Amino acid sequence: MTRIQRTGQFVARLLALLGLWTAPLAYSAMGPSDENIRLEISPRICTLTGRDKQCETPVHAQWRSSHEESLCLVIVTRPNVKRCWEHYAKGTYTIQLTFAEDVTFQLRDVSLEHVLASEVLRVIREAILYRHRRRQPWNIFD
Amino acid sequence: MGWRGIGHIATLLALLSCAGVAFAEDDCAASSDDCVAVGRWNLSVALGAGIRTNPVVHAQDIPLIFVPQFSYYGKRFFIDNLDPGVTLFEGETNTLSLVASPGYDRVFFYRSDLQNIFVGGTTAVAASGATTFVRNNQNPQAFQQIPERSRKITYLAGPEWTFRYARVTGQVDYLHEITGRNHGDEIRAALGIPLGQLAGSWSANVGVTWKSAGIVNYYYGAPGIYEAGWALNPFAKLGYSRPLSGKWKLDAFVHCERLGNAISDSPIVRGHYVTTAFVGATYVIHK
Repeated sequence: MTRIQRTGQFVARLLALLGLWTAPLAYSAMGPSDENIRLEISPRICTLTGRDKQCETPVHAQWRSSHEESLCLVIVTRPNVKRCWEHYAKGTYTIQLTFAEDVTFQLRDVSLEHVLASEVLRVIREAILYRHRRRQPWNIFD
Repeated sequence: MGWRGIGHIATLLALLSCAGVAFAEDDCAASSDDCVAVGRWNLSVALGAGIRTNPVVHAQDIPLIFVPQFSYYGKRFFIDNLDPGVTLFEGETNTLSLVASPGYDRVFFYRSDLQNIFVGGTTAVAASGATTFVRNNQNPQAFQQIPERSRKITYLAGPEWTFRYARVTGQVDYLHEITGRNHGDEIRAALGIPLGQLAGSWSANVGVTWKSAGIVNYYYGAPGIYEAGWALNPFAKLGYSRPLSGKWKLDAFVHCERLGNAISDSPIVRGHYVTTAFVGATYVIHK
């Protein structure tokens, strides 16, 4: 092997070592890691009977992460709802909601561009069977 | 009504509700005047001023002030005020059911009869208990007393056919007395005809009730004095209804029934007509 070849191999190895060393730094500079972020909401289901038109309930959202994060909790289709945390490993948020369709909660980065976690509060409608009422023209009060 | 009779009714309805029956696709998809939710109770109360004239001698007219109405509909079983029933077939224009219904004429004689509360059928008046005298047939100068006697609660049961044609609703029932008091029969037939909208909904009902001699004699006969035959009672009704705010609606009607000759000829009956009129507000408590 010539001197140039040995020098080239040395430089390649050095660059590889530098890449391995800087990768975690670069990765952390990209923002919160979404793999370890857990989002939970309660309740997770709202049941509507035949007489109910919508759900009205306080909803409790709770998130936690293995690292400190900076992120925001938002509700899809509710642009006025946003709760942010900076350098926290967990957070809670409670909001009184009125809704008739599924509600999606999302944890996003502070720029709101990336979704880190998502949970859906589902609406289940009771299936109601209907039939004809007995008509009784003979009945004085019918 | 004996316990055996009640048991027969309950057993028959229970068996029929478990039997395989035919249900065609129907057009009910939501609660409305014509459609009800299965498995739900419906309760309403009418509050107003009304009266029903009384053709029975010495009896008082019945005021109508507070009139509750309730019903429950299962998939096949139903109860409509005091009428339980089971639907054998239900289609878009025809429904066949088996129903049981109390004998209405008892309300003439007992104010405590439930049909004086759940006012539904024909005449609903109460006798005062005063003694009635009639001329003796053998000696017209003399009078003889019509003895007081009890009229027990009776129930009739049988098929009920309800049909719809255009916007007209028709109903025909053939009922037989099953509580063993008089073994009589009744045929009830009526048409409900919507008349249109003018500051509310107007409707007309016309119909007729045929009562066999057994039923007429049980209520209006006097053993040894008056033996009745069958009677045919036609009726007509004009009704008005208008929704108010929330669960309230305004209801009014006039109902006139002509008593068949076998009833009006009875010595304990005076007059040929029973008229019922009512105006008030109905509140839907639960639907």
